[in-house]
Amino acid sequence: MAHCERASKPLLQCLQKTYTKALPGLQLQSTRAFQSTALAREEAQAEAKSVPFHKAPDPALVTSPQLERRLLRQGIAPIGSRRRRAALQNASNIPFEQLPYQCFQEARKVLVADREEKLRDITAMSEKIARLQAVPTEEAGGEQVKKSKLRAMELHLEHLKILADINDPLVKKKFEDGQGDLSKPIYRYLADRKWREYRRKILVQRITQMKVIPDVLPHCDPTVDTKLYFNRNQIQPGEFVNAQVSTTAPKLDVQLFEGGEKLVTIAVVDSDVPNVEKDGFDFKMHYLAVNVPISATATKVDLSQLSTDSQVVLPWLPPVAQKGSPYHRLSLFILEQKDSKPLDFAAVKAKETERDNLLPRTLQARYHLKAIGAHLFRSQWDETTYEVMKQIGFPEADMELRRKRVEPLPYKRRNPSTFR
Amino acid sequence: MFQSRLLAPLRALDRSSRTSLPSAFRTITTTTTTRINTTTLRTPSSLLTTTLTKPTLPQTSFPNIQIRHASHATQGTANRHSRDPAGKRLGAKRTAGEYVVPGCIIFRQRGTKWFPGENCAMGRDHTIYAAQAGYVRYYLDPERHSERKYIGVVFEKDGKLPVPRNAPSRRKLGRVKVRFEVEGEEGVKGGKGDLVAKVGEEGTVVGSVGKVEIQQSEELQLRPGYMYREANWVIGRAAEKAGITAKVYNRKNRWLAWRKRTAKAERAAQMKSLKSKKKGAKKAKK
Repeated sequence: MAHCERASKPLLQCLQKTYTKALPGLQLQSTRAFQSTALAREEAQAEAKSVPFHKAPDPALVTSPQLERRLLRQGIAPIGSRRRRAALQNASNIPFEQLPYQCFQEARKVLVADREEKLRDITAMSEKIARLQAVPTEEAGGEQVKKSKLRAMELHLEHLKILADINDPLVKKKFEDGQGDLSKPIYRYLADRKWREYRRKILVQRITQMKVIPDVLPHCDPTVDTKLYFNRNQIQPGEFVNAQVSTTAPKLDVQLFEGGEKLVTIAVVDSDVPNVEKDGFDFKMHYLAVNVPISATATKVDLSQLSTDSQVVLPWLPPVAQKGSPYHRLSLFILEQKDSKPLDFAAVKAKETERDNLLPRTLQARYHLKAIGAHLFRSQWDETTYEVMKQIGFPEADMELRRKRVEPLPYKRRNPSTFR
Repeated sequence: MFQSRLLAPLRALDRSSRTSLPSAFRTITTTTTTRINTTTLRTPSSLLTTTLTKPTLPQTSFPNIQIRHASHATQGTANRHSRDPAGKRLGAKRTAGEYVVPGCIIFRQRGTKWFPGENCAMGRDHTIYAAQAGYVRYYLDPERHSERKYIGVVFEKDGKLPVPRNAPSRRKLGRVKVRFEVEGEEGVKGGKGDLVAKVGEEGTVVGSVGKVEIQQSEELQLRPGYMYREANWVIGRAAEKAGITAKVYNRKNRWLAWRKRTAKAERAAQMKSLKSKKKGAKKAKK
């Protein structure tokens, strides 16, 4: 920060007078604007010329922390890293395609040719699909054959679409800047790959190591990226959450990596409710909502904001762990409804009234659900739990669980005659 | 072996007899040789020695003979049992189907011949012990690991291991419900009761001392070490009684950390300079 400031100071000084001139080139590169709009911008630039940088800092170029803070207060987040912004300040703003490096231009030619070829393949493939669809079922060799053929061809078409754009440097740059449009298959593909590289691995490790997978559901292969927020704080899978914090329903960010919309059921279940009489553990459903629409672009789901008369079957119940009980695992599952068809809300609401011992396995079997996403957080006794228990009217708030003494084995006297 | 050892001194005896014995005696020996079975005697020297053993020669007549008895152990033993260490009593301590309680050692081993399975754990020296009360099972779990052998504990006498991978794990709570006193209910803050142990007839009972009792326990008692003093826990509460409060340590307060660090460095430098002065003084005296 300080280093890059210091290094770029002389340049910065001479650039601060000229940065506005350089700006349109930068914008041209990002939006590929036409000539007419560029002219309009030049007019605006002429007006802006009189304003010094510190009065109206540019979010793409700002490097000093003070100006950044001022921008943030205005509600504008600086773009990219500070190092990058500092580098952009003294970059000559040539459009990316016109960078004057011979090798780069040669390589670009190869990429462009490859893309042309892929585009030709795509048109050919889509024509082929249209032709097959036009053919009557009897000629195509039966219902099943035609269906499987079409499915395979569509998959191949999707693959080609990704191949056409995967080598585009601008696509890569946009994705890395977080400007990728997830309604396009290439950005969905990149996002999925990034998720699978690290975050999914962590999630799978947590849910298997903490035994959520055989205990709550027999199997789960997460395909959607789920993030969980309590009061704007993101909770990592398996984190301990304070009882006071989890009194309000969490917010979810469910990122789907496929096109189209899906209807899902969201269930939060506690699999470690102590049962002293049984000397074992019970389940408790803390939240259940059906018919929640998610798609690649509409990812935000606020569990407290879902409609109570068409979605929420069981509203949020704050999780509490009795004093002395082992930690409670609260696992959240995103369950895909079959063929994305809505469930009959009234019937579900009438049936699922009891929170205790409502197993996700039962739900899965009853409504033909398939787990596509999971998340996990834990709760244990802490200093705020007692108050939360009082608030929600927990029946045995002042009861503590203590370890039961296991009777030791009786002392067995060994036969002394065998001793030496 | 015995023969060769015995023959050596006799050979020496033979040599001496040749020189010192009268000729008449020599004639007797030659006559006796003819009678002895020739099959046992192969060389002329051995022939001579065996014949010499037959007539009883008085030993007193040869004062310069040296005989080595077997009173000293010879070098190099054939089977050195002394090198073997004592057995370490490894192996199974509980067989399959036996009832165990938590902490009960099931298998002692060097390395992991067996791995801990369901409701079992492994100790520092790879000892497998039970983590739950139940019945011991020795089993293989190919779904988990293709080669490892596991020791597990099941809750039922006829329980089976391994369980399928998608089956929910069977667990026991092992707790009882006890009513507890909620802290902060009475609004007591700072003057919390202390835990003290009282040894009574029913063993040690841990009780708590209220705030009032802490105030009352002013009078000094005879304590270990023949001293009239306050109890250790009262001493520990001295700062609280005096109303001394310390700032809560804040990791992020780097300003305080820097001040502390410089003070420490200064003090160290001061001590060092004092030390060197002392040394200098000593040298001057010398």
